[in-house]
Amino acid sequence: MTKRIKSVCIVGGGAAGWLTAGLLAARRSVPDGSGLSVTLVESESIGIIGVGEGTWPTMRNTLKKIGISETDFMRRCNASFKQGAKFARWRTGAKDDFYYHPLVLPEGFPMVDLAPYWNAAALKQSGVPSFSDAVCFQEFLCENGLAPKMISSPEFGGIANYAYHLDAHLFAELVQEHCIEKLGVTHIIDDVVEVERGEDGDIAAIINQRTGRLEADLYVDCTGFASKLLGEALEVPFIDCSDVLFIDRALAVQVPYEDENSPVVSHTVSTGQRHGWIWDIGLKNRRGVGYVYSSSHAQGDDVEAELAAYVGPQFKHLSTREIKIRAGHRAQFWKGNCVAVGMSAGFLEPLEASALVMTELSADYLAAMLPATRSGMDVVAARYNEITQYRWDRVIEFLKLHYMLSERDDTQFWRDNRDPASIPGRLLDQLELWRYNSPSELDFSSSHEMFPAASYQYVLFGMGFKMDASMQAHALRDPVAAEQAFERNALLKRKWGSKLPTNRDLLTKLGQYEFQKI
Amino acid sequence: MRLQQLSRAAHGDLRIDPRKAGSEAANNHLVPLSRIELRQAARCFPLFFVKDLETGQFYPAALLGLKANENLFWDGDAFVADYIPLNIRRLPFYIGGDDPAQGMICIDADSACIDPQGASRIVDEDGTDSAYIRGIQAMLAALSQNHEATSEFAREAARIGLLSEIKLDIVLDDGEAINVAGLYGIDDRTLERKFDEITSFEEKTLFMAMMLSLDHVSGLVRRKNARNEVLAAWRVPAAG
Repeated sequence: MTKRIKSVCIVGGGAAGWLTAGLLAARRSVPDGSGLSVTLVESESIGIIGVGEGTWPTMRNTLKKIGISETDFMRRCNASFKQGAKFARWRTGAKDDFYYHPLVLPEGFPMVDLAPYWNAAALKQSGVPSFSDAVCFQEFLCENGLAPKMISSPEFGGIANYAYHLDAHLFAELVQEHCIEKLGVTHIIDDVVEVERGEDGDIAAIINQRTGRLEADLYVDCTGFASKLLGEALEVPFIDCSDVLFIDRALAVQVPYEDENSPVVSHTVSTGQRHGWIWDIGLKNRRGVGYVYSSSHAQGDDVEAELAAYVGPQFKHLSTREIKIRAGHRAQFWKGNCVAVGMSAGFLEPLEASALVMTELSADYLAAMLPATRSGMDVVAARYNEITQYRWDRVIEFLKLHYMLSERDDTQFWRDNRDPASIPGRLLDQLELWRYNSPSELDFSSSHEMFPAASYQYVLFGMGFKMDASMQAHALRDPVAAEQAFERNALLKRKWGSKLPTNRDLLTKLGQYEFQKI
Repeated sequence: MRLQQLSRAAHGDLRIDPRKAGSEAANNHLVPLSRIELRQAARCFPLFFVKDLETGQFYPAALLGLKANENLFWDGDAFVADYIPLNIRRLPFYIGGDDPAQGMICIDADSACIDPQGASRIVDEDGTDSAYIRGIQAMLAALSQNHEATSEFAREAARIGLLSEIKLDIVLDDGEAINVAGLYGIDDRTLERKFDEITSFEEKTLFMAMMLSLDHVSGLVRRKNARNEVLAAWRVPAAG
């Protein structure tokens, strides 16, 4: 058990596989070549899913760590800037019903919590701007189609916090090329036909169809829904969570722009539908649109017609792709010498774009914590399982929050989402507190949180949650600081509203010029 | 500014006062430099790279003041420095068109240099180009011919990783605190670390000159303090 950990074998070559390879190779290499050896086995016959087209801001750091320049990344992946999400028709379903979950924290947060002040004003009078607009200047940027940065901003740095929209196929291709050419990752194109187990229960080797037996000290399962190593070979069961999150199908379509100067929306638009919601993601060269819905609720209803109505007349010329989603995750994520990363670990609907970030977090953890010997691995695995389980639970709760606060009454889908039996207990506990107090950082005290308190504030108050702060007058005891923070936010809108280019203009410019490193 | 393409027909009778050229730059705190003048400019001004706001690309420039629109070398009548950058001396003339290499000469018809009493003419009595306008043409030609080499020099500096953002954090004699951002310079530690990656001797000397020129920031501070002292003097009762 004191066997040294010298090699990692990653099975599966989608975004999860290559990101894991990239982060491990970049962070575990040493100049004399004695670092971790990383091999990726990829099947030629199995395609990648490639629906994850939205990232978190964490992707900027991930690219930096791997060593891919922002300009290269954006050019190669037809990427664009994403400044959070706009949720339309989630609350009442009315045409003008929307709110934002931006990526910039509320002004002053957490030193000053503007939520109680905004809440008090909104209860007292009409004409108060939405929470996200009152406390954060990013909604203004998004509504005006502005980019989060300028061509003179350094790479990976900006005026407003941002993430990306990207073409997942091109992204996997770029990271693959970088891993092979720059980071020394060994690439084997072959099909895994057998997983050989040792007496200790560990994976002893994988058997490839053409290239035969391959041994490694750690195996990373990036085989997607199939979960060939952790799920199939090591028989780790799948925990279904469709009792909380009902979405189980996606109908995806790629929508071209009118021309190359068409505006590129700088946020993800998520629009509530009868049995789910439609994602709308603007890349540089096209939009990715898809209807994710609950097939059991939609029974007999024409979901394609709903998607067609959203896309417009050009829909009839486009081809759709149906994807089955199984909401849930593995009962454990790291067993013996095998860890699952990406969809093999679990998958949820793309609301809040949690797929790629889970991959980044997992790969980062591996890169940082992979022990020196096999005997340390069980310790690390136990911790990893605990942290990862915690993360999945928090993501599931946060996604559920979007649904359970809805006032929509047009279908059973929305009504069922409010059934307390479908809501995780911890979320119900939080909501009991939030009836009187706005979400605070102390509600989220783990160092492995997924969403900060501010995100809960944006969704909660965006969805029209009524907070009764009348018994918590202390939350309003510094009106001067609050006034100053609201004023700063108004100032930021005026300042950057006139300086920032449109998202499209910046993307066009990026075709010709590049971001500087500093 | 009102640019017109320079022509004998339209501008043959024009008289120019070249001394006023500097007044056009009276409100510039940065002046772009050409690669060919970096060495001379480095003797007088602190040199930095700054970013073109339209393209994000670096270009070399001399810092003339500590605030936007402040030129501490303009004394109200003249640009007082041992070296005057080409981009000031060639005023009020510009190169028009998108491509500087193909450009035509333009004049700013609104320029303060256009003065019926001015000493310089564009066309001499005998109908030939004046020595003055030939000098301007030579400067504009030098600027356009070295435009690409200057951009390449800046790209090379960024590619090697020689540049660091330099934030000036200055407290003046009267207590005012000044912060200047958006300047990228060559500091000695970075230059030492990267020195062997610079391939040509000429570039090495230019980068060295730019590094040493940063010492002139103290000269700017001295000028600024002196100027503030003059401005404050009205409050001091005259002696006697």
